[in-house]
Amino acid sequence: MAINEQAILKSELRWAWVVAGIVAVILGAILFAALSMHINPPSNREFADPKTLHLSAEFTESNLGTRVDGEGRIVARLIATQFEFVPSCIVLPADSDVTLRFASPDVIHGILVTGTNVNTMIVPGYVAQVHTRFTKTGDLLMPCHEYCGLGHSQMLATVKVIPRDQFRPDARGRAACGDGR
Amino acid sequence: MTESAYPTSSHDYADDAEELARVEEAMSGGPRGAIMVSGIAVGLLLLCWLFIYFFIFLPRGTVG
Repeated sequence: MAINEQAILKSELRWAWVVAGIVAVILGAILFAALSMHINPPSNREFADPKTLHLSAEFTESNLGTRVDGEGRIVARLIATQFEFVPSCIVLPADSDVTLRFASPDVIHGILVTGTNVNTMIVPGYVAQVHTRFTKTGDLLMPCHEYCGLGHSQMLATVKVIPRDQFRPDARGRAACGDGR
Repeated sequence: MTESAYPTSSHDYADDAEELARVEEAMSGGPRGAIMVSGIAVGLLLLCWLFIYFFIFLPRGTVG
C-alpha cells in the first residue's frame, strides 16, 4: 500500500479553504469597521515646514488648543516637541465630531489617547490629522508613544472630554482647560 | 519507564518493512493529527482576534 497522496492533497486543499475563510472573515470585519463605523487608519498628506512652524498661520502659539470655526467644526491643534505637548491640556466635547491636528518642529513623535482608537505618528514636515468622536467623558491621558529622546517618558498631555452641553467656547471660538494650561 | 504500545524509533521495529507499513498506515487517512493541532492553534488565534475586535477595538469608537 502506497502513502495515500490523494488524501494528503485533499486535506491540504481543505485546509487552504479554511484559511481562505478565516482571511475572508477578518477582511470582512475590517471592511465592516471601515464602512459602517468609520474606523480607518488616519491618513493625511499635508506639509508644514518644521523650521517656520511657529510662524505659520495655523501653528502659531496663539492658535493652538481647541477652536470652533465659523462652520461649527471643532479642531484642536497641538505642537509635539521635545519633551512636551503645547498646550498640555485640550478640552473637547463628547458625542461630537472633532479633529485633532498635530505638528512637530523637531523629531518624530507619536500620540495615542488612552481608551480610544486615536493613534498617529507626528512626523516633522507633515501635519498629522485624526478625526474622531469621543463617547465617554473624563480626563484621558495622551502620552507620546514614539521614543523621542531622554525626556520621552515625561512627555504627555491630557484630553479633557466634557459633556457637550458644558462645552462653551468663548466669543472667538476658543476653549481651554479650566486650570489655565 | 513504562513500555509504550507504539515503537518510538526505527530501532524498535523488527525490520524496515514493518516501519514502512506503520508509516503507510498512519498516513493512509491524510495528516489528521497535523490538521487537528493546527486547527486548534489557528482556532484559538482567531477567537482571540475576534474577542479583541468586538470587545476592545469596536467599543473604542470611530477614528480616521
